[in-house]
Amino acid sequence: MALTGRAGLVAALGIVVVLFAPQPGAALAGVCLVLAAAVIVDLVFAGAVRPLRFHRSGDTLVRLGQPATVELIVENPGGRRVRGMLRDAWPPSANATPRVARLDVPPGERRKIVVTLDPTRRGDRSSVAVTVRSLGPLGLAARQGSHRSPWTVRVLPPFLSRKHLPSRLARLRELEGQHPALVRGQGTEFDSLREYVIGDDVRSIDWRATARRHDVVVRTWRPERDRRVLIVLDTGRTSAGRVGDAPIPMAGATPGGGGLLVRTEPRPTPGWPRLDWSMDAALLLAALAARAGDQVDFLAYDRAVRAWVSGASRSELLSSMVNAMAPIEAELIEADSQGMVAAILSRAKRRCLVVLLTDLNAAALDEGLMPVLPQLSSRHLVLVAGVSDPRVAAMAARRGSAEEVYDAAAAEHAQLERRRITARLRRHGVEVVDAPPEDIAPALADAYLALKAAGRL
Amino acid sequence: MSAVLRPVQASGGGPQGGGSPGGGSRPTSPTVRSTWNASRMIVLLGALLVLAAVVGVLINPGRGPERPLDPADTSLAGSKALADLLRDRGVTVDRVDSVQAATEKAATGNRLLLITDMTYFDEHTLSRIPGDRLIIGNAFGLETLAPGVRMHPGPPARSRSREPECQLPAARLSGSAYMGGTAFDGPPGATGCYPSPYGGHTLITYPNAGGVTTIVGDGSFMTNLRLAEDGNAALALNLIGTGRPVTWLVRPDNPPPALDLPGERGKSMYELMPDNILWTVYMAIIAVALTAFWRGRRLGPVVAERLPVIVRAAETVEGRGRLYRARRARQRAAESLRAGTIDRLTPRLGLASGAGAQEVVAALAARTGQDAPQVGAALYGPPPADDAGLVALAGYLDFIERQVSEL
Repeated sequence: MALTGRAGLVAALGIVVVLFAPQPGAALAGVCLVLAAAVIVDLVFAGAVRPLRFHRSGDTLVRLGQPATVELIVENPGGRRVRGMLRDAWPPSANATPRVARLDVPPGERRKIVVTLDPTRRGDRSSVAVTVRSLGPLGLAARQGSHRSPWTVRVLPPFLSRKHLPSRLARLRELEGQHPALVRGQGTEFDSLREYVIGDDVRSIDWRATARRHDVVVRTWRPERDRRVLIVLDTGRTSAGRVGDAPIPMAGATPGGGGLLVRTEPRPTPGWPRLDWSMDAALLLAALAARAGDQVDFLAYDRAVRAWVSGASRSELLSSMVNAMAPIEAELIEADSQGMVAAILSRAKRRCLVVLLTDLNAAALDEGLMPVLPQLSSRHLVLVAGVSDPRVAAMAARRGSAEEVYDAAAAEHAQLERRRITARLRRHGVEVVDAPPEDIAPALADAYLALKAAGRL
Repeated sequence: MSAVLRPVQASGGGPQGGGSPGGGSRPTSPTVRSTWNASRMIVLLGALLVLAAVVGVLINPGRGPERPLDPADTSLAGSKALADLLRDRGVTVDRVDSVQAATEKAATGNRLLLITDMTYFDEHTLSRIPGDRLIIGNAFGLETLAPGVRMHPGPPARSRSREPECQLPAARLSGSAYMGGTAFDGPPGATGCYPSPYGGHTLITYPNAGGVTTIVGDGSFMTNLRLAEDGNAALALNLIGTGRPVTWLVRPDNPPPALDLPGERGKSMYELMPDNILWTVYMAIIAVALTAFWRGRRLGPVVAERLPVIVRAAETVEGRGRLYRARRARQRAAESLRAGTIDRLTPRLGLASGAGAQEVVAALAARTGQDAPQVGAALYGPPPADDAGLVALAGYLDFIERQVSEL
């Protein structure tokens, strides 16, 4: 049960009655009895909450940054009208509106309530409970009860870098050549034979075929296809660090923090985790590689396999990848590089391009990846992509006061370490992409295109 | 691109919520019956506990407050043990709680007046009663009841076992006793026993008012708690049990209220208030309780969510900067700044990454037209002596870099 403000108001009026009554004790007893009787009447004649039935329909998948609508149909099989309030309880980061909806369902009828979710975070959001408060005829008291009506909306990564896809596809087409290339190079494979026309490179004449036919025949080449790309996402502690400016504000990322002890100094917005930027880059790369005819697999790993997408067809690849990525959060544990390399080696039997999305953190890489990297780079082509922190770059450029120069020195130190580890990785024959968050996706796509053009896949 | 992104419901990791045809909702709030089933054991135990407490109180009514040195009190501070001892020896013990009753008893013959408390009594009326007196503690009106006896200046002695150190037979025969409290100085001719370490005696006896008046600094030796220890019982019996009947004056059972109450005709504020106010306060409490219930009842559960941590990646770098700042680590800071500059400049100057200091300085001087020793000092010189030097160094390094990139 629940009371309404009206009950409190009646009791407050009772104060006045008791104050001026000739027999205050009796007046108090009278007011209380009347109030109790009215509350009981209300409770008895309020529409029953327990027999209510709920049905849901609506979105189950939504991209982060877009609203989702979930419809809740309330069916009242009881004999009395259910009038009052309804709350569909969702986790805070689902941003469900309205928080509390008015409800008025006559007996035997059903009503629809539309809840709009505006999620601020990736992952699965499930409705926790539907609570109905059914008011009595006098509006003094209400029956209240909760129902479980499960519904889950999966919030997918936003794939903001898809804006870069058209330009990269154009580059890819250029590379593939809608007209086959005549120049034999690395990175090309034999396509077909055709007749020589004036202007063709004489070096591409296939003498053996020319001898068999009475025409001069040239070979044509095209970029290699059906290569394998394995995208590996490091979900360890280094991927939790937030960089850049969040394109979509995430839950708990409101500037100034919150809580009772409000900090007055404005804090810089914490941005997005490296993980989310890496996912964005991985999605662009996957879309591009799928169009280029390569087979793309996806692995997320910290100390165990968090997600594994393999053998998805070209049309399904992106949807299965975003589905696999949606619930992944950065784990606050040190990634196990040895285990990661073992997992990659056991999954990638044939030579492939291993794209490792991690942080180029000298200390973490020295401890983890560097010792086991030769195992990987001897069998596969390895590309390490790291999201750099624009804030560190900004700190390195500041020269205002002694304090800022100390900060700049620390930032310079961090950048130097990063450059050193990059150089060491390159010496191991590993490709490295190091770019700020907004540029990591196109930079990775470009690196892939460059590798493809050079035929190194 | 949206066609490519269209999610596939069939894929393994899809959400489970969508597939519940017919809306499988079920109520989760407890019914009256389930609440009773879940909590009846607790209710039963609670009821049993309350019942046990009520029965316990009914069977064994409370003793009420302690009444120190009362011959009818059985608590540790009372003196019923001593009174019973006296009665066993044939001494009549009459407990009185008013001056009037004490005066009436005094009329029946020669008695010992034992005064344990003077808070509520008029010492002038009391001092008219002739005969022996035993006064316990630093009572009010001591100068009237026992003229000539004065409190000894100085701190009261701690109560503990003390030797009599006097010729008073009652004390000498009892030996050591639990004495202490206020110390007194008697008039000439008085006997003092159990001396306090700060001077004075804690027991004074001298002839007065047609009898012997004895004053004791502390009555602990007469209590039920201490009576069995030491020579306490002997001392008490020697002092009191001399054969005469005893008038034992205690604090009144119903102390009269203080005489000087504020307000009109001694009435308190509450008595002057009209009845309505009190009932209105009760009603207000009810109203507040109802309002609190209205506001306090939540519409549905509190939903908890596991949020990801918010760690800015730059925090480690900022921490290092603060550490440099706190330790004034100019050398390290300058090293980092120089290393960064050299690292960026060497490829631009067309040098290999492992180029020596001489080559870098020479190339830089040639490229920028700066003084070679000055460039050398900036890039490879000693660390700056103070913060201003560090800022200047950072500025100069920036300047060199700009020169190289602009040329």
